[in-house]
Amino acid sequence: MNRRISRLVLGIPAVLLLIAFVVVPYIEMLTMSLRMPGSGMPYGVGFTLGNFGHALGDPLYRGALARSLMLGAVVAALCLLLSYPVALHLARVSDRWHLVFYVCVVSPLLVGVLVRNFGWMIILAVDGPLNRLLLTVGLIDTPLRMLFNQGVVILALVHVFVPFMVLPITNALRNIDGALVEASASLGASDTRTFWRITFPLSFPGVQAALVLVFVLASSAYVTPALLGGQAVALLPSLIVDQLIGALAWPFGAALAIVLAAAMSLVVLAFTALSRPLAERTST
Amino acid sequence: MRPLVILSGVGLASIYGFLLAPLVVVVLSSLTAGELMRFPPQGVSLRWFSRFYESAGFIDALLLSLRVAAVSTVVVTLVGGMAALCHRTLSRRLGGWFRLLLLLPLLIPELLTAIGLLFFLSRIGLGKSLIGLQLGHIVITLPFAFISIAAALQQVDPALEDASDSLGASGWQTFRHILLPLIKAGALMGALFAFVTSFDMFTLSFLLKPVGGDTLPLALFNYLTYDFDPTAAAAATISILLAFAGVWVIDRTVGLRRVM
Repeated sequence: MNRRISRLVLGIPAVLLLIAFVVVPYIEMLTMSLRMPGSGMPYGVGFTLGNFGHALGDPLYRGALARSLMLGAVVAALCLLLSYPVALHLARVSDRWHLVFYVCVVSPLLVGVLVRNFGWMIILAVDGPLNRLLLTVGLIDTPLRMLFNQGVVILALVHVFVPFMVLPITNALRNIDGALVEASASLGASDTRTFWRITFPLSFPGVQAALVLVFVLASSAYVTPALLGGQAVALLPSLIVDQLIGALAWPFGAALAIVLAAAMSLVVLAFTALSRPLAERTST
Repeated sequence: MRPLVILSGVGLASIYGFLLAPLVVVVLSSLTAGELMRFPPQGVSLRWFSRFYESAGFIDALLLSLRVAAVSTVVVTLVGGMAALCHRTLSRRLGGWFRLLLLLPLLIPELLTAIGLLFFLSRIGLGKSLIGLQLGHIVITLPFAFISIAAALQQVDPALEDASDSLGASGWQTFRHILLPLIKAGALMGALFAFVTSFDMFTLSFLLKPVGGDTLPLALFNYLTYDFDPTAAAAATISILLAFAGVWVIDRTVGLRRVM
Protein backbone atom coordinates (compact mmCIF):
# COMPACT_ATOMS: atom_id res chain seq x y z
CA MET A 1 0.00 0.00 0.00
CA ASN A 2 2.82 2.29 0.93
CA ARG A 3 4.43 1.64 -2.44
CA ARG A 4 1.17 2.43 -4.21
CA ILE A 5 0.90 5.87 -2.64
CA SER A 6 4.50 6.81 -3.29
CA ARG A 7 4.11 5.61 -6.87
CA LEU A 8 1.03 7.75 -7.39
CA VAL A 9 2.97 10.81 -6.26
CA LEU A 10 5.53 10.14 -9.00
CA GLY A 11 2.95 10.93 -11.67
CA ILE A 12 2.30 14.45 -10.40
CA PRO A 13 5.13 16.32 -12.18
CA ALA A 14 4.15 14.92 -15.58
CA VAL A 15 0.47 15.72 -15.05
CA LEU A 16 1.21 19.27 -13.90
CA LEU A 17 3.60 19.84 -16.79
CA LEU A 18 1.11 18.66 -19.39
CA ILE A 19 -1.85 20.50 -17.91
CA ALA A 20 0.10 23.76 -17.61
CA PHE A 21 1.89 23.63 -20.96
CA VAL A 22 -0.41 21.62 -23.22
CA VAL A 23 -4.01 21.63 -21.96
CA VAL A 24 -4.10 25.25 -20.80
CA PRO A 25 -2.43 26.49 -24.03
CA TYR A 26 -5.13 24.70 -26.06
CA ILE A 27 -7.77 26.53 -24.05
CA GLU A 28 -5.79 29.73 -24.63
CA MET A 29 -5.93 29.01 -28.37
CA LEU A 30 -9.72 28.64 -28.20
CA THR A 31 -10.17 31.94 -26.37
CA MET A 32 -7.66 33.63 -28.68
CA SER A 33 -9.75 32.65 -31.71
CA LEU A 34 -12.67 34.59 -30.19
CA ARG A 35 -10.77 37.80 -29.50
CA MET A 36 -11.02 41.01 -31.50
CA PRO A 37 -8.24 41.67 -33.98
CA GLY A 38 -5.78 44.27 -32.69
CA SER A 39 -4.12 47.07 -34.56
CA GLY A 40 -0.37 47.28 -34.02
CA MET A 41 -0.51 44.44 -31.52
CA PRO A 42 -1.36 40.74 -31.73
CA TYR A 43 -4.95 41.05 -30.45
CA GLY A 44 -7.46 43.64 -29.27
CA VAL A 45 -10.01 44.10 -26.49
CA GLY A 46 -13.33 42.24 -26.46
CA PHE A 47 -14.65 39.13 -28.16
CA THR A 48 -16.16 38.26 -31.54
CA LEU A 49 -17.10 35.30 -33.74
CA GLY A 50 -15.92 37.22 -36.79
CA ASN A 51 -12.60 35.38 -37.08
CA PHE A 52 -14.42 32.15 -37.85
CA GLY A 53 -16.67 33.91 -40.34
CA HIS A 54 -13.60 35.22 -42.13
CA ALA A 55 -11.79 31.85 -41.95
CA LEU A 56 -14.73 29.91 -43.37
CA GLY A 57 -15.97 32.57 -45.78
CA ASP A 58 -12.80 33.47 -47.67
CA PRO A 59 -12.23 31.17 -50.69
CA LEU A 60 -8.45 31.53 -50.22
CA TYR A 61 -8.60 29.75 -46.87
CA ARG A 62 -11.29 27.29 -47.90
CA GLY A 63 -9.19 26.30 -50.90
CA ALA A 64 -6.07 25.97 -48.77
CA LEU A 65 -7.96 23.82 -46.27
CA ALA A 66 -9.24 21.53 -49.02
CA ARG A 67 -5.74 21.22 -50.51
CA SER A 68 -4.23 20.42 -47.11
CA LEU A 69 -6.78 17.69 -46.39
CA MET A 70 -6.36 16.28 -49.88
CA LEU A 71 -2.58 16.30 -49.48
CA GLY A 72 -2.94 14.39 -46.20
CA ALA A 73 -5.21 11.79 -47.80
CA VAL A 74 -2.98 11.28 -50.85
CA VAL A 75 0.16 11.01 -48.71
CA ALA A 76 -1.52 8.51 -46.36
CA ALA A 77 -2.71 6.35 -49.27
CA LEU A 78 0.70 6.35 -50.99
CA CYS A 79 2.41 5.58 -47.68
CA LEU A 80 0.18 2.53 -47.25
CA LEU A 81 1.07 1.34 -50.75
CA LEU A 82 4.79 1.49 -49.96
CA SER A 83 4.61 0.45 -46.30
CA TYR A 84 2.55 -2.71 -46.52
CA PRO A 85 5.05 -4.73 -48.59
CA VAL A 86 7.87 -3.59 -46.29
CA ALA A 87 5.85 -4.53 -43.20
CA LEU A 88 5.08 -7.97 -44.68
CA HIS A 89 8.76 -8.42 -45.39
CA LEU A 90 9.82 -7.27 -41.90
CA ALA A 91 7.28 -9.56 -40.25
CA ARG A 92 8.49 -12.60 -42.21
CA VAL A 93 12.23 -12.07 -42.54
CA SER A 94 14.45 -14.41 -40.53
CA ASP A 95 15.76 -13.20 -37.16
CA ARG A 96 19.28 -12.89 -38.50
CA TRP A 97 18.34 -10.25 -41.07
CA HIS A 98 15.54 -8.65 -39.13
CA LEU A 99 17.80 -6.16 -37.33
CA VAL A 100 19.39 -4.98 -40.58
CA PHE A 101 16.08 -4.25 -42.32
CA TYR A 102 14.59 -2.85 -39.13
CA VAL A 103 17.45 -0.35 -38.92
CA CYS A 104 16.83 0.62 -42.57
CA VAL A 105 13.25 1.54 -41.67
CA VAL A 106 13.98 3.23 -38.35
CA SER A 107 17.10 5.19 -39.31
CA PRO A 108 15.17 7.80 -41.34
CA LEU A 109 13.15 8.40 -38.15
CA LEU A 110 16.31 9.39 -36.33
CA VAL A 111 17.11 12.02 -38.95
CA GLY A 112 15.23 15.30 -38.96
CA VAL A 113 12.49 16.02 -41.50
CA LEU A 114 14.45 19.02 -42.74
CA VAL A 115 17.56 16.94 -43.46
CA ARG A 116 15.51 14.35 -45.33
CA ASN A 117 13.83 17.07 -47.40
CA PHE A 118 17.26 18.47 -48.14
CA GLY A 119 18.29 15.05 -49.53
CA TRP A 120 15.47 15.30 -52.07
CA MET A 121 16.56 18.84 -52.99
CA ILE A 122 19.95 17.41 -53.96
CA ILE A 123 18.58 14.36 -55.79
CA LEU A 124 15.97 16.29 -57.80
CA ALA A 125 17.99 19.43 -58.55
CA VAL A 126 18.19 20.57 -62.19
CA ASP A 127 21.82 19.42 -62.33
CA GLY A 128 21.19 16.64 -59.81
CA PRO A 129 21.86 12.91 -60.13
CA LEU A 130 18.33 11.94 -61.26
CA ASN A 131 18.30 14.43 -64.13
CA ARG A 132 21.76 13.37 -65.21
CA LEU A 133 20.77 9.71 -65.09
CA LEU A 134 17.71 10.39 -67.23
CA LEU A 135 19.81 12.44 -69.68
CA THR A 136 22.43 9.70 -69.99
CA VAL A 137 19.85 7.01 -70.53
CA GLY A 138 18.27 9.26 -73.15
CA LEU A 139 14.79 9.42 -71.63
CA ILE A 140 14.86 13.23 -71.68
CA ASP A 141 16.67 15.86 -73.78
CA THR A 142 16.61 18.78 -71.37
CA PRO A 143 16.82 18.59 -67.56
CA LEU A 144 13.45 18.55 -65.82
CA ARG A 145 12.48 21.08 -63.18
CA MET A 146 11.32 18.69 -60.50
CA LEU A 147 11.55 20.88 -57.38
CA PHE A 148 9.19 23.43 -55.88
CA ASN A 149 5.82 21.98 -56.81
CA GLN A 150 3.09 19.92 -55.21
CA GLY A 151 4.44 16.61 -56.52
CA VAL A 152 7.76 16.93 -54.71
CA VAL A 153 5.95 17.91 -51.50
CA ILE A 154 3.96 14.66 -51.75
CA LEU A 155 7.12 12.65 -52.48
CA ALA A 156 9.01 14.15 -49.54
CA LEU A 157 6.09 13.72 -47.12
CA VAL A 158 5.62 10.09 -48.17
CA HIS A 159 9.31 9.57 -47.47
CA VAL A 160 8.94 11.19 -44.06
CA PHE A 161 5.92 9.12 -43.00
CA VAL A 162 6.59 5.62 -44.42
CA PRO A 163 8.42 4.52 -41.22
CA PHE A 164 5.47 5.76 -39.13
CA MET A 165 3.29 3.34 -41.02
CA VAL A 166 5.63 0.37 -41.36
CA LEU A 167 6.10 -0.05 -37.61
CA PRO A 168 2.44 -0.37 -36.48
CA ILE A 169 1.57 -2.60 -39.46
CA THR A 170 4.56 -4.86 -38.78
CA ASN A 171 3.39 -5.16 -35.17
CA ALA A 172 -0.13 -6.06 -36.27
CA LEU A 173 1.22 -8.65 -38.73
CA ARG A 174 3.51 -10.23 -36.15
CA ASN A 175 0.56 -10.72 -33.80
CA ILE A 176 -1.35 -12.80 -36.36
CA ASP A 177 -1.47 -16.45 -35.36
CA GLY A 178 0.52 -18.35 -38.01
CA ALA A 179 -1.82 -21.32 -37.60
CA LEU A 180 -4.62 -19.32 -39.25
CA VAL A 181 -2.57 -18.77 -42.39
CA GLU A 182 -1.52 -22.44 -42.47
CA ALA A 183 -5.10 -23.58 -41.93
CA SER A 184 -6.25 -21.40 -44.81
CA ALA A 185 -3.56 -22.81 -47.09
CA SER A 186 -4.18 -26.43 -46.09
CA LEU A 187 -7.88 -25.98 -46.78
CA GLY A 188 -6.90 -25.17 -50.34
CA ALA A 189 -7.02 -21.34 -50.46
CA SER A 190 -4.57 -19.68 -52.83
CA ASP A 191 -1.94 -17.28 -51.46
CA THR A 192 -3.89 -14.30 -52.78
CA ARG A 193 -7.11 -15.51 -51.20
CA THR A 194 -5.37 -16.19 -47.88
CA PHE A 195 -3.90 -12.70 -47.98
CA TRP A 196 -7.20 -10.91 -48.63
CA ARG A 197 -9.32 -13.12 -46.37
CA ILE A 198 -6.94 -13.68 -43.44
CA THR A 199 -3.77 -11.57 -43.35
CA PHE A 200 -5.05 -8.18 -44.50
CA PRO A 201 -8.23 -8.15 -42.37
CA LEU A 202 -6.30 -9.20 -39.28
CA SER A 203 -3.74 -6.45 -39.83
CA PHE A 204 -6.43 -3.84 -40.47
CA PRO A 205 -6.48 -2.30 -36.97
CA GLY A 206 -2.78 -1.46 -37.44
CA VAL A 207 -3.47 -0.10 -40.94
CA GLN A 208 -6.36 2.03 -39.72
CA ALA A 209 -4.34 3.58 -36.88
CA ALA A 210 -1.40 4.27 -39.19
CA LEU A 211 -3.58 5.90 -41.87
CA VAL A 212 -5.14 8.24 -39.30
CA LEU A 213 -1.73 9.16 -37.87
CA VAL A 214 -0.17 9.91 -41.25
CA PHE A 215 -3.23 11.82 -42.51
CA VAL A 216 -3.17 14.13 -39.47
CA LEU A 217 0.59 14.65 -39.54
CA ALA A 218 0.71 15.28 -43.31
CA SER A 219 -2.29 17.64 -43.39
CA SER A 220 -0.70 19.78 -40.68
CA ALA A 221 2.90 19.57 -41.93
CA TYR A 222 4.54 22.97 -42.14
CA VAL A 223 8.22 22.71 -42.96
CA THR A 224 8.21 20.37 -45.99
CA PRO A 225 5.76 22.46 -48.06
CA ALA A 226 7.57 25.63 -46.93
CA LEU A 227 10.91 24.29 -48.17
CA LEU A 228 9.90 22.31 -51.25
CA GLY A 229 6.50 23.65 -52.26
CA GLY A 230 7.60 26.87 -53.92
CA GLN A 231 5.25 29.84 -54.11
CA ALA A 232 2.44 28.22 -56.06
CA VAL A 233 0.81 25.92 -53.53
CA ALA A 234 -0.89 27.64 -50.59
CA LEU A 235 -1.54 25.11 -47.83
CA LEU A 236 -3.36 26.00 -44.65
CA PRO A 237 -0.48 25.43 -42.16
CA SER A 238 1.74 27.97 -43.92
CA LEU A 239 -1.12 30.50 -44.14
CA ILE A 240 -1.66 30.04 -40.39
CA VAL A 241 2.01 30.64 -39.63
CA ASP A 242 1.94 33.72 -41.90
CA GLN A 243 -0.91 35.16 -39.84
CA LEU A 244 0.82 34.44 -36.53
CA ILE A 245 4.38 35.50 -37.37
CA GLY A 246 4.11 37.77 -40.41
CA ALA A 247 0.82 39.64 -40.02
CA LEU A 248 0.77 39.30 -36.21
CA ALA A 249 -2.99 38.60 -36.41
CA TRP A 250 -3.24 36.12 -33.57
CA PRO A 251 -7.03 35.79 -33.24
CA PHE A 252 -7.45 35.06 -36.94
CA GLY A 253 -4.48 32.65 -36.94
CA ALA A 254 -6.00 30.84 -33.96
CA ALA A 255 -9.36 30.58 -35.73
CA LEU A 256 -7.66 29.11 -38.82
CA ALA A 257 -5.79 26.60 -36.62
CA ILE A 258 -9.05 25.51 -35.00
CA VAL A 259 -10.73 25.19 -38.39
CA LEU A 260 -7.86 22.94 -39.52
CA ALA A 261 -8.07 20.84 -36.34
CA ALA A 262 -11.85 20.51 -36.61
CA ALA A 263 -11.72 19.58 -40.30
CA MET A 264 -9.03 16.94 -39.67
CA SER A 265 -11.08 15.49 -36.80
CA LEU A 266 -14.17 15.29 -39.03
CA VAL A 267 -12.24 13.43 -41.73
CA VAL A 268 -10.78 11.03 -39.14
CA LEU A 269 -14.23 10.39 -37.63
CA ALA A 270 -15.76 9.79 -41.06
CA PHE A 271 -12.94 7.44 -42.03
CA THR A 272 -13.21 5.47 -38.78
CA ALA A 273 -16.98 5.16 -39.19
CA LEU A 274 -16.70 4.06 -42.83
CA SER A 275 -13.99 1.51 -42.13
CA ARG A 276 -15.73 0.15 -39.03
CA PRO A 277 -17.19 -2.91 -40.82
CA LEU A 278 -13.66 -4.01 -41.74
CA ALA A 279 -12.27 -3.31 -38.29
CA GLU A 280 -15.14 -5.07 -36.52
CA ARG A 281 -14.91 -8.16 -38.67
CA THR A 282 -11.42 -8.70 -37.33
CA SER A 283 -12.23 -8.17 -33.68
CA THR A 284 -14.81 -10.98 -33.55
CA MET B 1 6.21 -18.11 -59.51
CA ARG B 2 9.88 -17.38 -60.12
CA PRO B 3 9.47 -14.06 -62.02
CA LEU B 4 7.04 -12.93 -59.33
CA VAL B 5 9.59 -13.53 -56.59
CA ILE B 6 12.22 -11.55 -58.48
CA LEU B 7 9.76 -8.76 -59.19
CA SER B 8 8.74 -8.45 -55.55
CA GLY B 9 12.42 -8.54 -54.53
CA VAL B 10 13.16 -5.64 -56.88
CA GLY B 11 10.12 -3.79 -55.58
CA LEU B 12 11.18 -4.20 -51.96
CA ALA B 13 14.77 -3.23 -52.71
CA SER B 14 13.58 -0.03 -54.39
CA ILE B 15 11.42 0.89 -51.38
CA TYR B 16 14.35 0.38 -49.03
CA GLY B 17 16.49 2.37 -51.47
CA PHE B 18 13.87 5.15 -51.51
CA LEU B 19 14.01 5.30 -47.69
CA LEU B 20 17.78 5.53 -47.49
CA ALA B 21 18.69 7.51 -50.65
CA PRO B 22 18.21 11.06 -49.27
CA LEU B 23 20.33 10.31 -46.20
CA VAL B 24 23.15 8.79 -48.22
CA VAL B 25 23.08 11.67 -50.71
CA VAL B 26 23.31 14.31 -47.97
CA VAL B 27 26.27 12.61 -46.25
CA LEU B 28 28.18 12.09 -49.51
CA SER B 29 27.51 15.65 -50.74
CA SER B 30 29.03 17.08 -47.57
CA LEU B 31 32.35 15.43 -48.46
CA THR B 32 32.72 17.17 -51.81
CA ALA B 33 35.90 19.06 -52.63
CA GLY B 34 34.09 21.14 -55.26
CA GLU B 35 32.52 24.57 -54.90
CA LEU B 36 28.95 23.54 -55.63
CA MET B 37 26.27 21.44 -54.06
CA ARG B 38 26.57 18.52 -56.44
CA PHE B 39 25.97 14.81 -56.42
CA PRO B 40 28.02 12.68 -56.96
CA PRO B 41 30.60 14.81 -55.06
CA GLN B 42 33.67 16.09 -56.90
CA GLY B 43 36.64 14.76 -54.99
CA VAL B 44 36.72 14.14 -51.26
CA SER B 45 37.54 16.72 -48.60
CA LEU B 46 36.42 17.95 -45.23
CA ARG B 47 36.57 21.62 -46.28
CA TRP B 48 32.82 22.17 -45.84
CA PHE B 49 33.03 20.85 -42.30
CA SER B 50 35.72 23.39 -41.53
CA ARG B 51 33.54 26.02 -43.19
CA PHE B 52 30.74 24.91 -40.87
CA TYR B 53 33.08 25.13 -37.90
CA GLU B 54 34.13 28.65 -38.86
CA SER B 55 30.56 29.87 -39.27
CA ALA B 56 29.57 31.53 -36.01
CA GLY B 57 25.87 31.30 -36.91
CA PHE B 58 25.95 27.55 -37.38
CA ILE B 59 28.11 26.86 -34.30
CA ASP B 60 25.88 28.98 -32.04
CA ALA B 61 22.84 27.19 -33.44
CA LEU B 62 24.46 23.77 -32.93
CA LEU B 63 25.36 24.59 -29.32
CA LEU B 64 21.86 25.91 -28.61
CA SER B 65 20.28 22.78 -30.12
CA LEU B 66 22.58 20.50 -28.13
CA ARG B 67 21.79 22.36 -24.93
CA VAL B 68 18.03 22.37 -25.42
CA ALA B 69 18.03 18.71 -26.46
CA ALA B 70 20.22 17.68 -23.50
CA VAL B 71 18.02 19.48 -20.95
CA SER B 72 14.87 18.05 -22.56
CA THR B 73 16.29 14.53 -22.52
CA VAL B 74 17.25 14.62 -18.86
CA VAL B 75 13.95 16.18 -17.77
CA VAL B 76 11.65 13.95 -19.82
CA THR B 77 13.51 10.74 -18.98
CA LEU B 78 13.10 11.52 -15.26
CA VAL B 79 9.54 12.88 -15.42
CA GLY B 80 8.44 10.32 -18.03
CA GLY B 81 10.02 7.45 -16.08
CA MET B 82 8.29 8.57 -12.88
CA ALA B 83 5.02 8.83 -14.78
CA ALA B 84 5.50 5.31 -16.18
CA LEU B 85 5.96 3.96 -12.63
CA CYS B 86 2.80 5.77 -11.58
CA HIS B 87 0.93 4.42 -14.61
CA ARG B 88 1.84 0.89 -13.49
CA THR B 89 -0.12 1.19 -10.24
CA LEU B 90 -3.21 2.95 -11.66
CA SER B 91 -6.43 1.06 -12.30
CA ARG B 92 -7.20 0.20 -15.93
CA ARG B 93 -9.69 3.03 -16.36
CA LEU B 94 -7.69 5.75 -14.67
CA GLY B 95 -4.53 4.45 -16.34
CA GLY B 96 -6.19 4.91 -19.72
CA TRP B 97 -6.89 8.59 -19.02
CA PHE B 98 -3.42 9.11 -17.62
CA ARG B 99 -1.89 7.56 -20.72
CA LEU B 100 -4.06 9.70 -22.99
CA LEU B 101 -2.93 12.88 -21.21
CA LEU B 102 0.72 11.87 -21.48
CA LEU B 103 0.42 11.04 -25.18
CA LEU B 104 -1.53 14.22 -25.99
CA PRO B 105 1.47 16.12 -27.43
CA LEU B 106 2.07 13.17 -29.76
CA LEU B 107 -1.56 12.80 -30.84
CA ILE B 108 -2.10 16.48 -31.56
CA PRO B 109 0.00 17.96 -34.37
CA GLU B 110 3.10 19.84 -33.25
CA LEU B 111 1.90 22.94 -35.12
CA LEU B 112 -1.22 23.20 -32.94
CA THR B 113 0.66 22.63 -29.67
CA ALA B 114 3.16 25.27 -30.73
CA ILE B 115 0.42 27.79 -31.53
CA GLY B 116 -1.25 27.25 -28.15
CA LEU B 117 2.10 27.68 -26.42
CA LEU B 118 2.88 30.82 -28.43
CA PHE B 119 -0.25 32.50 -27.01
CA PHE B 120 0.05 31.08 -23.50
CA LEU B 121 3.78 31.79 -23.04
CA SER B 122 3.39 35.40 -24.15
CA ARG B 123 0.53 35.80 -21.68
CA ILE B 124 2.65 34.58 -18.74
CA GLY B 125 5.59 36.74 -19.82
CA LEU B 126 7.72 33.97 -21.33
CA GLY B 127 7.04 34.83 -24.97
CA LYS B 128 10.10 34.61 -27.23
CA SER B 129 12.25 33.37 -24.34
CA LEU B 130 14.69 30.50 -24.05
CA ILE B 131 12.71 29.07 -21.12
CA GLY B 132 9.57 29.05 -23.24
CA LEU B 133 11.37 27.26 -26.08
CA GLN B 134 12.78 24.74 -23.60
CA LEU B 135 9.33 24.08 -22.09
CA GLY B 136 7.93 23.48 -25.56
CA HIS B 137 10.66 20.95 -26.33
CA ILE B 138 10.03 19.21 -23.01
CA VAL B 139 6.29 18.70 -23.53
CA ILE B 140 6.73 17.50 -27.12
CA THR B 141 9.41 14.94 -26.19
CA LEU B 142 7.82 13.72 -22.95
CA PRO B 143 5.60 11.10 -24.68
CA PHE B 144 8.63 9.38 -26.24
CA ALA B 145 10.28 8.78 -22.88
CA PHE B 146 6.99 7.74 -21.29
CA ILE B 147 6.02 5.22 -24.02
CA SER B 148 9.41 3.49 -24.07
CA ILE B 149 9.69 3.19 -20.31
CA ALA B 150 6.04 2.16 -19.84
CA ALA B 151 6.50 -0.52 -22.51
CA ALA B 152 9.63 -1.81 -20.77
CA LEU B 153 7.85 -1.85 -17.39
CA GLN B 154 5.00 -3.84 -18.88
CA GLN B 155 7.42 -6.71 -19.50
CA VAL B 156 8.38 -6.83 -15.81
CA ASP B 157 6.56 -9.43 -13.70
CA PRO B 158 4.91 -7.64 -10.71
CA ALA B 159 5.80 -10.69 -8.58
CA LEU B 160 9.44 -9.56 -8.68
CA GLU B 161 8.54 -6.29 -6.95
CA ASP B 162 6.31 -8.05 -4.43
CA ALA B 163 9.10 -10.47 -3.61
CA SER B 164 11.55 -7.60 -3.15
CA ASP B 165 9.06 -5.79 -0.91
CA SER B 166 8.34 -8.80 1.25
CA LEU B 167 12.05 -9.37 1.72
CA GLY B 168 12.20 -5.91 3.31
CA ALA B 169 13.65 -3.78 0.52
CA SER B 170 12.70 -0.10 0.49
CA GLY B 171 10.85 1.36 -2.48
CA TRP B 172 14.08 2.92 -3.73
CA GLN B 173 16.03 -0.34 -3.34
CA THR B 174 13.38 -2.25 -5.28
CA PHE B 175 13.55 0.35 -8.03
CA ARG B 176 17.35 0.56 -8.10
CA HIS B 177 18.12 -3.16 -7.98
CA ILE B 178 15.08 -4.82 -9.55
CA LEU B 179 13.27 -2.46 -11.92
CA LEU B 180 16.06 -0.23 -13.19
CA PRO B 181 18.24 -3.04 -14.60
CA LEU B 182 15.20 -4.48 -16.36
CA ILE B 183 14.01 -1.22 -17.93
CA LYS B 184 17.41 0.29 -18.71
CA ALA B 185 17.27 -0.60 -22.40
CA GLY B 186 13.79 0.90 -22.84
CA ALA B 187 14.74 4.03 -20.93
CA LEU B 188 17.85 4.55 -23.08
CA MET B 189 15.87 4.11 -26.28
CA GLY B 190 13.25 6.59 -25.03
CA ALA B 191 15.99 9.06 -24.11
CA LEU B 192 17.54 8.72 -27.57
CA PHE B 193 14.22 9.35 -29.30
CA ALA B 194 13.57 12.33 -27.03
CA PHE B 195 17.01 13.77 -27.78
CA VAL B 196 16.74 13.30 -31.52
CA THR B 197 13.18 14.67 -31.64
CA SER B 198 14.22 17.78 -29.73
CA PHE B 199 17.39 18.20 -31.76
CA ASP B 200 15.45 18.04 -35.04
CA MET B 201 12.33 19.93 -33.99
CA PHE B 202 11.46 22.64 -36.49
CA THR B 203 7.89 23.94 -36.36
CA LEU B 204 7.68 24.52 -32.61
CA SER B 205 11.12 26.15 -32.49
CA PHE B 206 10.19 28.35 -35.44
CA LEU B 207 7.13 29.71 -33.61
CA LEU B 208 8.66 29.99 -30.12
CA LYS B 209 12.30 30.87 -30.74
CA PRO B 210 13.81 33.73 -28.77
CA VAL B 211 14.98 36.74 -30.79
CA GLY B 212 18.29 35.84 -32.44
CA GLY B 213 18.17 32.34 -30.97
CA ASP B 214 18.15 29.97 -33.93
CA THR B 215 18.43 26.24 -33.31
CA LEU B 216 20.34 24.15 -35.86
CA PRO B 217 17.24 23.18 -37.91
CA LEU B 218 16.22 26.88 -38.09
CA ALA B 219 19.71 27.91 -39.17
CA LEU B 220 19.76 25.10 -41.73
CA PHE B 221 16.34 26.15 -43.09
CA ASN B 222 17.54 29.73 -43.58
CA TYR B 223 20.69 28.50 -45.21
CA LEU B 224 18.80 26.22 -47.59
CA THR B 225 16.46 29.04 -48.53
CA TYR B 226 19.14 31.70 -49.14
CA ASP B 227 22.56 30.22 -49.83
CA PHE B 228 22.56 26.68 -51.06
CA ASP B 229 26.13 25.38 -50.69
CA PRO B 230 27.74 22.24 -49.20
CA THR B 231 28.03 23.87 -45.75
CA ALA B 232 24.36 22.96 -45.39
CA ALA B 233 25.19 19.35 -46.21
CA ALA B 234 27.92 19.41 -43.56
CA ALA B 235 25.42 20.75 -41.00
CA ALA B 236 22.91 18.05 -41.95
CA THR B 237 25.60 15.36 -41.83
CA ILE B 238 26.56 16.41 -38.32
CA SER B 239 22.98 15.90 -37.16
CA ILE B 240 22.85 12.48 -38.87
CA LEU B 241 26.14 11.46 -37.23
CA LEU B 242 24.85 12.55 -33.83
CA ALA B 243 21.77 10.32 -34.13
CA PHE B 244 23.86 7.35 -35.19
CA ALA B 245 26.37 7.98 -32.42
CA GLY B 246 23.41 7.68 -30.04
CA VAL B 247 22.39 4.35 -31.59
CA TRP B 248 25.99 3.15 -31.37
CA VAL B 249 26.18 4.04 -27.66
CA ILE B 250 22.97 2.11 -27.00
CA ASP B 251 24.29 -0.86 -28.94
CA ARG B 252 27.48 -0.79 -26.85
CA THR B 253 25.76 -0.42 -23.48
CA VAL B 254 22.67 -2.62 -23.70
CA GLY B 255 22.72 -4.13 -27.18
CA LEU B 256 20.39 -3.09 -30.00
CA ARG B 257 18.59 -6.43 -30.08
CA ARG B 258 17.22 -5.78 -26.61
CA VAL B 259 15.58 -2.47 -27.45
CA MET B 260 13.66 -3.45 -30.56
